[in-house]
Amino acid sequence: MKITRLFQRTMFGIFFLFLLIGVSTSVVSIYSVDLHLTSEYEENSRDIAKTIADASVDIILNRDLSSLQSLIDQFVEIQGISYIYIVNDTDEYLAHTFVPGIPEEILESERQVGETVTRNLAGMGDFVEVSSYILAGHVGSVHIGMDVSHVALAIQQAIGNQIYLIAIIFFVGIFASIWFVSFAAKPINSLLDYAVILAKGERQEDSKIPNEQILTRNDEVGHLARLFQYFSTVTDTEKLEKEPEVKETK
Amino acid sequence: MAKLTRRQLTQSVLASAAIAPWRALAADPVGQDSTVPSGTQTDSGVTDSEIVLGVSTAFKGPSRGLGIELYRGAVSYFAHVNDQGGVHGRRIVLKLRNDGYQPVPAVENSVKLIVDDKVFALFGYVGTPTVTRVLPVLKKFQDRDFLLFFPFTGAQPQRQPPYDEFAFNLRASYKQETAGLVDNFVSIGRERIAVFYQADAYGRSGWAGVRAALKKYDKKLVGEATYRRGEQYTAVMRAQVERLKKVNPDAVICIGAYAACSAFARDAIDGGLDVPIANLSFVGSENLLKNLTDEFGSESERYSRWLVNSQVVPSYEDLTMSSISEYEDLMSRYDPTPPPEFEEHDYVPFAKSFTSLEGFLNAKLMTEILMRAGPSPSRALLEDAVFSIQNHDLGIGEMVHFSPERRQGLDQVYYTIVENNRFVGLTDWEAKFAT
Repeated sequence: MKITRLFQRTMFGIFFLFLLIGVSTSVVSIYSVDLHLTSEYEENSRDIAKTIADASVDIILNRDLSSLQSLIDQFVEIQGISYIYIVNDTDEYLAHTFVPGIPEEILESERQVGETVTRNLAGMGDFVEVSSYILAGHVGSVHIGMDVSHVALAIQQAIGNQIYLIAIIFFVGIFASIWFVSFAAKPINSLLDYAVILAKGERQEDSKIPNEQILTRNDEVGHLARLFQYFSTVTDTEKLEKEPEVKETK
Repeated sequence: MAKLTRRQLTQSVLASAAIAPWRALAADPVGQDSTVPSGTQTDSGVTDSEIVLGVSTAFKGPSRGLGIELYRGAVSYFAHVNDQGGVHGRRIVLKLRNDGYQPVPAVENSVKLIVDDKVFALFGYVGTPTVTRVLPVLKKFQDRDFLLFFPFTGAQPQRQPPYDEFAFNLRASYKQETAGLVDNFVSIGRERIAVFYQADAYGRSGWAGVRAALKKYDKKLVGEATYRRGEQYTAVMRAQVERLKKVNPDAVICIGAYAACSAFARDAIDGGLDVPIANLSFVGSENLLKNLTDEFGSESERYSRWLVNSQVVPSYEDLTMSSISEYEDLMSRYDPTPPPEFEEHDYVPFAKSFTSLEGFLNAKLMTEILMRAGPSPSRALLEDAVFSIQNHDLGIGEMVHFSPERRQGLDQVYYTIVENNRFVGLTDWEAKFAT
């Protein structure tokens, strides 16, 4: 595919424009997806914490704690949730999902119900913890930990999909631009070839250029080709007609 | 449970009386060939020739020893009943499904047993995490009057509202087992008690029992460690041992299944945690001991000397009890094998075990209930048949009785230790475990 020099700068311009659109769209997309998914995970976990808190009241007050454990075991099967623990109003652990036991970091930390807490648990990783009061804190609180790496992986996957799409659009756009520019440049190249033929004074039938095709075009290239042909014709006739006059004048 | 009106009850009794009270059938023993009902399927789970009970249990996986042994014990008695002509002429048939001791398959199996298989009642389930999740299924289908009989769990959910009305228990509860262990440990001065438990509803049930028992003495658990359900004997429990060693306990009560608990006992001894290690009846005592003896052979005494297991049935060695000698006789006569459709050839059944004895007693009482349900049994009347059992001698030295307020047949807890690679009764805690 041959691109005329005339269009090379235009091509570079288009390329940089696409690059700028691609990068800026990616950056905005990464930021908004990260923000959106992180807050969505937190919101979902907070909703789950609230659901467990609401369901726990009756169990804690009236039933066996195995029912409470069974309840949280069902929720911890949800993707992204790494641990759940429930403490009572005296900060005693009533149920949890930790193996081989409740981490020291959690045992020693001060309870912050309602806030989002970031935790690094030795041997387990980084977690974002959300919580909800049970019966306004009079019965206790529910705490849910989300694995940051899982959330990050989900965000990376979502961003990856977006960037993948943007990259495809970028490359399709670039190739489409090259094709359109080449398409636009093709008659100019033909015109140039035709002008060279005229300049060399080659006969049309010896030329590889389909002169008829370029001369019949109904656009600027066609007009220019016909103009070149005219100038070429006029110049030769005038030369023949004007040479004796020149001699006579001399 | 939907209560019958007096009129419905009368109609039902009259209908029962119209049917021949006894139909002798050439019944085959219950076993691997009779797990699928052969009679025409009915909505009631009862045909002219069969009563179909639905079983979802662990026939495969790390806890298969519990499901298989419970099944073998039950089958030995049902086979005997069928050989004798069945219950009012009907063979007792078990429709079996494997849940691998996992809650979701247990729920799915229960729905299939109720909706597709249309069994008469559910029987012989294994496990707290499974049964706890199945109870809402029974609530959902309460208009069909399904009952769960004698699950192999001592947890509370099926013993208290809102689900107690859907189940009948034979065995003592984990509350009673853990209270007994705590009482005995405290009585010999071992007051610093820690727990090692399965991180699920079963473990929590036992944990809560120990916690409540200690509260009586104004004491708290000194420490805890957990493991994930489904762990094999090959699992390493050093992290759990280290956690418990830090709190310097006088005794550890384990609430788990045999694979994990034997792994814990092994790593505890190797890790220098030389304190009594108690296990609840659910553990599957013989399988626990087998893991240790298989690995350590003659050295296994080193790993089993600290073991003390609570049991909810008497020792199968005590042949002075009529049901124990009957159990021994029928187990050797029928020698039931695991169901062929679930058989894994590396499993070697035990000639006798606490778990199969419990299955045997479950089957014996279930047969008595079916007898009392009459020649035309219906699910709606089954509960009344259970409540008719008052001071019933099950042949183990403890009378059984049920009522709307009492849905558990037995209360006795027994304690066993290992001597010469066998579980024997523990009578003197002071002599064995005093500090």
